[in-house]
Amino acid sequence: MTSDLLATILSDLVSPTLLGLALLGTVLGLVFGALPGVSSTMALAVMLPFTYGMETAPAMVMMLAVFFSSVYAGSVSAILLNIPGTPGAMITLLDGHAMARKGRAAEAMSYALIASIFGGVVGWILLVLLAPTIAHYALQFGSPEYAAVVLFGLALVAYASSGDTLRGLAAGAMGLLVGVVGRDQVTDVPRFTFGTADLQGGIDIIPLAIGLFGIAEVLSLLCRSKDAADPVPESAGRTWPRLRDLVGEFPTALRGSVIGTFVGAIPAAGSAVAVALAYAFEKRLSRTPDDFGTGIPRGVVAPEAANNACVGGALIPMMTLGIPGDSITAVLIGVLLLHGLRPGPGLFENQPDLILTIYGGLFLAILLTAIVAGAIGIPVYRRILAIPQRLLMSAVLILCILGAYSVRNAVIDIWVAIFFGAVGFAFIRLNIPVLPLAFGAVLGPLLEENLRRTLLIHKDVGVFFERPVSLLLVSVSLAILVLPTVIGLLAKLRRPD
Amino acid sequence: MKLKFMMAAAAFSAIAGSALAEDFPAGPITWVVNWPAGGGQDTTSRLVAERLSDVLGVPVVVENYAGAGGLTGMRELAGADPDGYTIGMLGASSIIQQYTTDEPVKMDELEVLSFFGPDPGALTVGAGTPYQTLDDYVTAVKEAPGDVPNGNDPPGGASYISASFMEALLGLELNKVPYPGYAPTVTALLGGEVESATVPIPQVLEHAKAGDVRILGVMAAGRHFLAPDVPTFAEQGYDVVAGDFRAVVGPAGIPADRAKVLSDALVEVLSSDAFVTAANAAGYMIEPLGPEEAAARIAAFDEQVYPVLEGAGLVTNPK
Repeated sequence: MTSDLLATILSDLVSPTLLGLALLGTVLGLVFGALPGVSSTMALAVMLPFTYGMETAPAMVMMLAVFFSSVYAGSVSAILLNIPGTPGAMITLLDGHAMARKGRAAEAMSYALIASIFGGVVGWILLVLLAPTIAHYALQFGSPEYAAVVLFGLALVAYASSGDTLRGLAAGAMGLLVGVVGRDQVTDVPRFTFGTADLQGGIDIIPLAIGLFGIAEVLSLLCRSKDAADPVPESAGRTWPRLRDLVGEFPTALRGSVIGTFVGAIPAAGSAVAVALAYAFEKRLSRTPDDFGTGIPRGVVAPEAANNACVGGALIPMMTLGIPGDSITAVLIGVLLLHGLRPGPGLFENQPDLILTIYGGLFLAILLTAIVAGAIGIPVYRRILAIPQRLLMSAVLILCILGAYSVRNAVIDIWVAIFFGAVGFAFIRLNIPVLPLAFGAVLGPLLEENLRRTLLIHKDVGVFFERPVSLLLVSVSLAILVLPTVIGLLAKLRRPD
Repeated sequence: MKLKFMMAAAAFSAIAGSALAEDFPAGPITWVVNWPAGGGQDTTSRLVAERLSDVLGVPVVVENYAGAGGLTGMRELAGADPDGYTIGMLGASSIIQQYTTDEPVKMDELEVLSFFGPDPGALTVGAGTPYQTLDDYVTAVKEAPGDVPNGNDPPGGASYISASFMEALLGLELNKVPYPGYAPTVTALLGGEVESATVPIPQVLEHAKAGDVRILGVMAAGRHFLAPDVPTFAEQGYDVVAGDFRAVVGPAGIPADRAKVLSDALVEVLSSDAFVTAANAAGYMIEPLGPEEAAARIAAFDEQVYPVLEGAGLVTNPK
């Protein structure tokens, strides 16, 4: 197996067609992912028709390259513009953009790249070595566990977002309400659609994030421009971090990668959950948790290692069970089906060549992303900051509107983006964190659907406390939410001055 | 010189004009898919679109309009100009939605161009369950009404309707647990969260081969080509025929000559050996039928499904 894999990687590297297509995929992924409003799923869907005429192997190699490099590039607009390029980069902007404001934009992008490559490699190794084992555990994840892990994620976001806890919780609750709009997943009854058919599909997370982060950022820059102060200075400092500093981030990157791989392997959990877990975990372990959000490399390394490790993780259920781990792997399965291959548990026995192609292709994607992004990507990206603000922001606004529309080819999504642009702008002015709202909208529907399904099947809330995984997750979530208050109260009681 | 140029321009536009009227299609055709990229509706559409493009000699561009359980895409399709340049794939759920949703797209807003094929429902149980045969399963469900959890779509989806058909025709009561699509349903079946599922054969075939699930019966008139060992419900004494189907449609009012060009091209593609091989390999049954026969099949499904929907209390827009 190992020697076969090495042989596949070597033959990929010397085949001009495969190498060329992988290179093309990497470059396109680095462009698409960095554009605000173009998610990895969209990048893959755009490339899908080009795979019709290809053989299976080159098609998969190209798509994997687009997949991996676009996940990294999502961090670029998060760092430079405070706009997440993909939902998986929503956490990266906290410290990434703060670093950019300090003039360390290029360094933040390098940290993101190194963490992404590290996460990618760890995810790849776990995929190659442990795919069937991890898939077995992922299958044990039923509706009660999903509901518990989502609750855990929400608790961690409340904990991780800086500033006023009460405001954070209020924003999170609004996010949960936004997630209720549209057809109910359990009964198929439309809710909060205000009588229009347009809202029956619910509020898609991408237009919401585009508005909340992108349009709101453009609006607040417009207000600030009167002060004539450039909010993000051109990156003057070093591009590559010192080796000594990198070594210090190693444990963080490793933890983030492992979290990313496992969360990625749970079907439908997705990278948004993984990055929230990785970031909050690091904040919890840190001796100086208050530094998070002020622009420290650790706040970039944790989520970036996690979201790129998710790529390997998401491939695990696809390779072992033929089940898509997320909307991105769903497109990859589509490519296989179009080439007459049905992925399933028999893939390892019946299609060993395909397994090797995918393993080799992902390795190639990681390698090329490292080289292309390091040598060309970051030097090009950093020049974005040299573009005059008014031109840059006009382009960003156009991309935001275009991106919102192209998710589902629906005009309503443009209005959703504009609406949440106004909401995000108001939040910035009122000093309310926007991140809990976005996560509430992502996680709320998942929580509701799985909670109600749990009750449909088990007919009793007690099930959450009978199953070990859900018991653990629910207890820890409650502890995170309740403990700070209790400790605060106790401290007050002891010192009644 | 100027006059010559104008004459040439006039002649050119005259040729171009007549070409538009007679040589349909003269430009790219948009193929609407009402589900996201990568799903069954998308894959079948792309399989056809790629080859339809060769037959018609113009690009056929697949566009995904996902959302609202497929309704967003059907609205896009029904609302498009009926000039033949916008067509798309129709599934069984769109027939059902006529009666179960507010402001649905009605079949009279669409023009049927060809049938693609059926995708019959099947009953699959987890390997860890005690049910070895369909008889075992039916007996167990009758003994504990409402207790056996069955994985299916949300109400109105094809696998939900398959489960409802089974309940109505066999006098059963299941605990129908909704999942957002076939993939999560199969995951739940493999993980043991539900005991049975009513998804089509291609979704469970590989897992059955691996011994993780057992397919107890196919809800079709004949056996499925991918699983010739699995008996139909009827063979086992239960008269249940249910499941999904696909057909190619456009907005109502496409000029007859253009509709004929499209139908003929579609039937040609769907009948070709190369296409059938590719579609079968991906797990899809092909039954190429022209517009009249396709419309008859859809009408027959409509007749059959309406009473079941009524019985399940799902009808909010009565016929």
